[in-house]
Amino acid sequence: MLVEDDEALRNQLDRWLTESGYEVIPVGDGSGAVEIFKAENPNVVLMDIQLPGRNGIELVRDIREFAGTPIIMVTARSEAEVMDEAFQAGADDYFEKSPWEPEKLLARIKNSLRVQQRGTPETTNEEEANGVLKIGSVTVDILGHEVRKNGEKISLTPYEFKLLTTLAEKPKLVFSREQLLKDVWNHSYQGDTRLVNVHIQRLRSKIEDDPDNPTVVVTVRGIGYKAGLN
Amino acid sequence: MIGWFRRYIQLRAVVSTVLLTGIAMTALGGFLSYSIGNGLFQTRLTQVLSESQRAVIQVQNTFSASNVTDEVALQTLMNSVVPSLESNTATQERQVALLRTPGQPSGSLALQSPMSSNLNLAVIPGDLRTKVALAGSHLSYQSVTIPTALGDHPGIAVGAPIQIPLAGAYELYLVYDLQNEENTLLFVQRTLVVGGLVSLFLIALVSYFVTNWLVAPLRVASDVAESIASGDLDKRIPAKGTDVISTMARSFNKMADSLQKQITKVTNVSTMQQRFVSDVSHELRTPMTTIRISGDMLFRNRDKLAPTLKKDAETLNDQIIRFEALLGDLLELSRFDAGGVRPHMELQDVQHVVGMAIVSVEPLANNKGSRINVDLPTELVEVELDSRRIERLLRNLLANAIEHGEGKPIDVHVAGNDHAVAITVTDYGIGMTKEQLDRVFDRFWRADPSRQRTSGGTGLGLAISQEDAHLHGGWLQVWARPNQGACFRLTLPKLRGGTITEAPLPMPPARPLWAMPKGFYHD
Repeated sequence: MLVEDDEALRNQLDRWLTESGYEVIPVGDGSGAVEIFKAENPNVVLMDIQLPGRNGIELVRDIREFAGTPIIMVTARSEAEVMDEAFQAGADDYFEKSPWEPEKLLARIKNSLRVQQRGTPETTNEEEANGVLKIGSVTVDILGHEVRKNGEKISLTPYEFKLLTTLAEKPKLVFSREQLLKDVWNHSYQGDTRLVNVHIQRLRSKIEDDPDNPTVVVTVRGIGYKAGLN
Repeated sequence: MIGWFRRYIQLRAVVSTVLLTGIAMTALGGFLSYSIGNGLFQTRLTQVLSESQRAVIQVQNTFSASNVTDEVALQTLMNSVVPSLESNTATQERQVALLRTPGQPSGSLALQSPMSSNLNLAVIPGDLRTKVALAGSHLSYQSVTIPTALGDHPGIAVGAPIQIPLAGAYELYLVYDLQNEENTLLFVQRTLVVGGLVSLFLIALVSYFVTNWLVAPLRVASDVAESIASGDLDKRIPAKGTDVISTMARSFNKMADSLQKQITKVTNVSTMQQRFVSDVSHELRTPMTTIRISGDMLFRNRDKLAPTLKKDAETLNDQIIRFEALLGDLLELSRFDAGGVRPHMELQDVQHVVGMAIVSVEPLANNKGSRINVDLPTELVEVELDSRRIERLLRNLLANAIEHGEGKPIDVHVAGNDHAVAITVTDYGIGMTKEQLDRVFDRFWRADPSRQRTSGGTGLGLAISQEDAHLHGGWLQVWARPNQGACFRLTLPKLRGGTITEAPLPMPPARPLWAMPKGFYHD
């Protein structure tokens, strides 16, 4: 689904994405977007931030209430506050309109499709071979794509799930923000690490007992993050 | 610091006032004490001498007029002289001695030398006796010290020769006690000291209040100036009256008013410009992207076009890309000009940032055949920086080095000290002349406009790089020689807001890395 208010750009993007092999649902303004989303149930949403009717950030919030579908913000401006707000609302990734880097956009779309695929555990450990990982009070069923905390099911978006499993599969490893940006988002070297920071915040608010004193996803000062032990 | 200094000014005023008046008063007191003492002594001396003169005449007359013939009568007469002189003066007692002049043949008569009972003969100095013996009929005198039960008293001993019939040459000595004068002088001195101390204290107090009274408005002015400096532009100095301080306050307030007006104006302009840049950015980028996609699609399908149009599609796409890069750089620069750039500072390993920049230009370097040699410190160098900006800056320096390096190796050095880290990017290519060097950070300036550009630079890269360096409180410096190469050095403070005193790396490096012994560098 492509939500973009500028008609010319929407049409061109539509044509370009179609030519690149994707089926596109173009949406011109924010007010009807949620209904179209519910009806069409797209795999990925490309969302402009400034929209008439209902702005992009509000739309993201609306969609997040019932779906975890990957949302890539398509933005003309990279101001920190706006992007932070979008990520906090639940956006998964971003793409800058200008300079136009088509490979990047394709890579972002591909990656958002990749994170939705049910993963297979990358471990040889016998206990974990059945696809269940444990960090703290949280269990991650990779095959079943399910996260439970104290037996209670928690719903994570595909990106949050990918982030958690990436950390959980190598519990001894400390991941730098750049490393996570590469592993989870498949961004190249020059990524914006705020993306990671905000996603870690979002993840913590869902799985930690006390998000201010995290035990499941632990910060290693100056380096990055790791899975909490036991 | 400021408060201390303020107090210091006042303290200095009070202390110097007290010190100066103290010195003046000590000198004055010393002079007064000396002249009073001298005056007292001279008065007393005159009095003593005239009394003594009278006494001597009286005694000499007594002896001359007497017609005693026997020893006992003479002794009695001599003995009577002493008490008659002792209590003679109205002012004070004096001590009297009638001594036989030594050195004359012992006469026929063996007479005793009468003297006051409380007189210690040692008081009369030998010098005086010699003087008296030689003096004829004159009076001789000398200052002496009289030992008493209450301590030594100052005094004057006056002597004169007396001829006693039958007995020969005698000397009459009168010793006057000057303790009263001494007491008077001491009293005057004590009074002077006490009075001096009290006036010093009063002067200190007065100068404290006076300076306080003068400094108080300055203190207010200083507080207000400080508030204004720290951003509270509404603060003013209360000014009433017409004295010089009120005039200063009013001038200051006037200055603050116009400053505030200017600042508000500039802030408004800056905010408007930021808004404008932000709007332009959005408004231009959307159609720009549309055009780029169209150009991209034309370019991808150029083989389907007529051969004459194929070239146009290629040119169109190239120029659109160039136009977009230019637009991006221009918008970035106007963001700097409007003061609307907020860096995203994070503590980062600088080697990591350098590494990412090198990786990103590697295809370009391979294309040109330039090898990138790197000299990194062995330890972690953590710096608070906006990694996106610094990486862009380094990428830009590297791209420039590759472009002008003529396929020769590019050297990258990184080194840090306690406060700063420096990164140099050096090429050994065509270099620059002095005139070119002066303009290298100018916008849209190019070393050689006729040269074909391979990295697609916009001519704004170094200008943006320098803005980014300044944004971090850092330096971006350049060294170049024609046909020897160029070296750009970025120096950054390790922590945000830190100051750099010197760059930890020389510019240019001592010698190229490829000329170093093997194993010195790693790449």
